Amino acid sequence: MTTAAIVRPISFAGAPLSAWAFGIRIWIAVVVALAASFWLQLDAPSTAAVTVAILAAPTRGPALDKAFYRFVATVIGVAAAIAITGLFTQASDLLLVAIAGWVGLCVYAAGLLDGNRAYAAVLSGYTVALVAVEQIDAPQNVFEAGVERGAAIVVGIAATALVNDLLAVSDSSPPLTLRLAALHRRVRDYAGLFLGHKAADAATAAGLLRDITALHPEMESLAPETAGGSARSAAARSAAVALVAQVYAARALNALSAAEERKEADPGEPSLLSSRAAWASREFRRRDAEVQEAIAALNASTRPRQPWRTPLYRSQRIAAAAGMRAAACFVLPSAFFVLAGWPTTDVSLSLVAVLIGLGATTPDPKGFTVFTFIAAPIVVALAGTLEFVILDGADKFELLALALAPFMIGATVLMTKSNQLLSSLGRVNLILVLDIFAPSNPPSYNAQTFLFISLFVCLASALLLTAQILLPTESIERRQRWIMASARRDFEHLLSRRDRRLAPEESMFRDAARIGQIMAGGTSPRDSAVQAEALSYFDRAAAIRLGRANLARLAATSLSHLAVEADKALAAQDTQRLLDLGNTLRDMGGAESAFAEEISGELALAAVVVDAASHSDATTTEPLS
Amino acid sequence: MMHSFSELVIGDVFVAPFISYAVTALAILLVFRPILRLCRFAKLFSHPAIAELSLYVTILGLLTVIF
Repeated sequence: MTTAAIVRPISFAGAPLSAWAFGIRIWIAVVVALAASFWLQLDAPSTAAVTVAILAAPTRGPALDKAFYRFVATVIGVAAAIAITGLFTQASDLLLVAIAGWVGLCVYAAGLLDGNRAYAAVLSGYTVALVAVEQIDAPQNVFEAGVERGAAIVVGIAATALVNDLLAVSDSSPPLTLRLAALHRRVRDYAGLFLGHKAADAATAAGLLRDITALHPEMESLAPETAGGSARSAAARSAAVALVAQVYAARALNALSAAEERKEADPGEPSLLSSRAAWASREFRRRDAEVQEAIAALNASTRPRQPWRTPLYRSQRIAAAAGMRAAACFVLPSAFFVLAGWPTTDVSLSLVAVLIGLGATTPDPKGFTVFTFIAAPIVVALAGTLEFVILDGADKFELLALALAPFMIGATVLMTKSNQLLSSLGRVNLILVLDIFAPSNPPSYNAQTFLFISLFVCLASALLLTAQILLPTESIERRQRWIMASARRDFEHLLSRRDRRLAPEESMFRDAARIGQIMAGGTSPRDSAVQAEALSYFDRAAAIRLGRANLARLAATSLSHLAVEADKALAAQDTQRLLDLGNTLRDMGGAESAFAEEISGELALAAVVVDAASHSDATTTEPLS
Repeated sequence: MMHSFSELVIGDVFVAPFISYAVTALAILLVFRPILRLCRFAKLFSHPAIAELSLYVTILGLLTVIF
């Protein structure tokens, strides 16, 4: 008998040592950023420290990727701020409306993207608020404020990159490889359910597709990490696309097994399918080998043999609704502040834009605002303790560095917790403590400024929450209806015309991303029905696309007349005709018999998948027979 | 003899010479990256990130000394 010892990571005070190391690294980077900003006499040294907090990531790739997008978005945002201020400098009300429109446009763009690109889109939006709104009474300073902000961000990025490199922070490719390998095992297990004649839930397939496509931002962030980063990123993308294709191959196997059992129940049906089962299994194994090859390429930092793109699906309608709501949510607090006529409310208004932007990158913007509303007093108390209890007038940089340590390290360790609430609290704390405390040289220790900023942080979240209650987000059901409507539309387009821009596997990934979006909003009683319908479209679209790709090869041979007929049968989803054409091709002799046999297998499989998907009902369990 | 640094002026905005050198060094490193990958640069070092940083600092230093 052998025993396996489980190696537990060494932990201290309830957190693994790696989390503490991460915290210490962030603290060092914040101190380096502040030291450099003070030395360069930047006007906004706290922006450099906040940049480090925003870029805090346990591995190098995501931090560098986010840094790149943060810099680009700041340049776009400052340019937009100068343009908007220049256009509406004489009418501050119109200026606010223009900023609201810009914020809405950026939130719309973020709705069409994911990961750090979505963050860049919203950052372009709220940079305008941070630069233009805070200088609303002195528009001549917008350019200088923008340059100062840009300089501080570059210092923050440089500090993060330097500390990450010197402290030999691990790359993101090993954990990503592990996650891809785990997904590969899950896909095999999923196929094993069918081979073992067990029923598989539609949610299992949908969950697999969601988890595969959710890796998209991480795959993109591998590129800037090392010299071989772009090759690794391409390999990871290929692995993900091959995994989606393997899920489809498993579902095709299932459809074939179900058709086989139907045939046994009805001996009158033609005996075509049994000979195709071996071909379908071969197809599944081919996809399996593709995944293994891509994961091996990722490990070896080499380009994959079959590079695939990973096009993303995002609903235009949901993004547009979010954009319009974001613009309205900015207008309502603006109107409130204009009517109130309070001084220095520009800080609060720019914070509203920041919260709108950051909330737009989360699945639940209102939930994010509620969380900030609750977290804001905690952060204010911590920032106050740091400024007026611990430092309390100290003006030495060493003391500032030491005083920051517990706040930075503690918040970062909290960020690494698996509990989503604690993790979010850690991230918000890390950023907002630096934002409210705003270290400067020489330090101000102005209690009035602190009180004003603290009040405005709380007021901003309260006002935004009020606006979001007045302008509620569309329900999950409505979002799912919109996504399903786009799925139907895309499927009708697929039947009527050929998409030459994407390979069938790439289109499959896009469809899988759509299923991921359906599942992103949460769960509702009609989820299983929606998932089954979405999977039905996924299966049929994949079968038709793969069938057409093979027919394009057949069209170049002497059997082109059969290719034209099969193409028409695919467009009409005429499964009987497809099976007949498959039979004809299988029985072909001559030099092209092997090729015709392969195409016949593909057509028969397409017919079976389309047939099974068309007849799939909206039950949660997919019966095997 | 003192080494003089030429300032870059973009639309009446002065850019410090160090910024020009830093950006140029970054651009050179990015251009070299595919060659580094072909040379299997990452396999030569236990910590490729530190090696790349050192290469960047070397390029930056050379630019500052030469131009």
